[in-house]
Amino acid sequence: MTVIQVEQLSKSYFVPEREAGLGAALKSLVRRKNREVKAVDAISFEIGPGEVVGFLGPNGAGKTTTLKMLSGLLYPTGGAARVLGHTPEKRERGFLTQVTLVMGNRSQLQWDIPALDSYDLQRAIYGLDPAGYRRTRDELIELMQVGDLVRKPVRNLSLGERMKVEFIGALLHNPKVIFLDEPTLGLDVTMQRRLREFVAGYNARTGATVLLTSHYMADVEALCKRVIVIHHGTLLYDGDLAGLSARFASYKTISASFDQTPPALDGYGEVVATDGLRVTLRVPKAETSRATARLLTDLAVVDLTVEDPPIDDVIEKVFSSPVVK
Amino acid sequence: MAIVRLWWNYVRVGVLGEVQYRVNFLVQLLQSAIALATGLIVLALIFSYTQTLGGWTGPELLALMGVHTLVGGLIHMSIQPNMERLMQDVQNGTLDYALIKPADSQALVSVREFRLWQGVDVAIGAIVIGVAVFQLREALGWEQALGFGLALLCGAGMIYAFWLILTTGAFWWVRMENLLELWQGLYSAGRAPVGIYPDWLRYGLTFLVPVAFAVTVPAEAVTGRLTLETLAGAVALAAALLIGARWFWFFGLKHYSGASA
Repeated sequence: MTVIQVEQLSKSYFVPEREAGLGAALKSLVRRKNREVKAVDAISFEIGPGEVVGFLGPNGAGKTTTLKMLSGLLYPTGGAARVLGHTPEKRERGFLTQVTLVMGNRSQLQWDIPALDSYDLQRAIYGLDPAGYRRTRDELIELMQVGDLVRKPVRNLSLGERMKVEFIGALLHNPKVIFLDEPTLGLDVTMQRRLREFVAGYNARTGATVLLTSHYMADVEALCKRVIVIHHGTLLYDGDLAGLSARFASYKTISASFDQTPPALDGYGEVVATDGLRVTLRVPKAETSRATARLLTDLAVVDLTVEDPPIDDVIEKVFSSPVVK
Repeated sequence: MAIVRLWWNYVRVGVLGEVQYRVNFLVQLLQSAIALATGLIVLALIFSYTQTLGGWTGPELLALMGVHTLVGGLIHMSIQPNMERLMQDVQNGTLDYALIKPADSQALVSVREFRLWQGVDVAIGAIVIGVAVFQLREALGWEQALGFGLALLCGAGMIYAFWLILTTGAFWWVRMENLLELWQGLYSAGRAPVGIYPDWLRYGLTFLVPVAFAVTVPAEAVTGRLTLETLAGAVALAAALLIGARWFWFFGLKHYSGASA
């Protein structure tokens, strides 16, 4: 059974374009040139119930556009999406009561009043029964450890505190699908970790499906077994996080410890770090076995590990790839 | 009923927010008092030279001024703040949060803001109408009261539809503030009965920008000038504009691109 089903989904925008300068600006007043931009270009994937999937891509890759199409905010220009058996852009009540969206840089709570009053408003909009609503609200307040923060006007909360109360507001109706668009944006490390723990716990407890976009790889590594990589609007990778390195990393990292200062190791690979008697080498993936065997044969190695490069490096490599169109 | 419940909940939240800023109430009171005093002085000046203006007597024009103030209060209390917020939301991408709610999107974006203190103008407008009716020395019959209520409702409906159509343009043109500034200027023309204006302006203020239907027609009801044909025309135009605005809203929604993240 799939919760999210996406087939050849596309979204194009027409954006005005002109040369720099006053002359070009005046000319564009009379005759405006528009260029079609394919924000999302025929992507397909499926997500099952309870999955937490990381949606990765550089700025402008089409992540948020896809998320917004799946949550019914934007109309696709091609292809189709089904979420919980509904067509999102129809925005049926049965669909909207089962999904939620949290955006890291935007707030849905009323600025001048305490979050508790905004929660009451959510209850009215979603038509939640008062007893069930109070139970869920109090449970979320306890899980998020926000205590009396929900009684302060939202404008008096710090960014981290505001994100916590935002999360509670977004989950009051017990959604089955949660869209998280960079939810930890701008938060300090401790607050990021707390929100990650909350999302992981919520997913384990309720079985809600989570689709997360984030530029912080720590979010993705902590929460997502599966990642979907999108770049220039097209889907580059859909699989487990570990497989991402296997697919895109062209090298491996060999760390070797010696009991005495080793000779120059340039012949074995590119030396990227030396820390006392420990040396880290970067070796092309195809050469890894041969380089490891040579190191062990030629030198007195005390300890040796072969690892995939850090996920951030892999992602950076994927994102820096040129447009292939 | 769902929309009434939704509206009431937002009114409650709006009131909760407004009472945080008590100074706003005093400022609004002062502003309304100045506007009322200016209006009364202008009327007194005009009628020190003449007995009628475009066929309207002093008390009748006072009633018109009352309706103008009352309708202006309603616009500033609910219609304008909601449409301004809609424009900001389209610019900032925060409309996403309204669209993802399980409620009629047009209804939701039309009730989210409520400026309690603008109610001062509604109260002052109602008092001025009461004084004018007293000066006219004619008892307001139930037919006239009903006609006034219906005309006011149609006028408010037309102005809401007009604003919604303008604001929906933000889906394409994003910045619509200047057009709404233009509205303020045109609405002030409603302080005088539209009959005194040249034809081109009268038609403009009747059919393009429905100031005539929003102000002059309800004032006609209070002063016993309203004909059944005019009232029927107001109902028909209000219905047409409301249907048109709803269609245009959903058409515009398909062009919503959200602000980039």
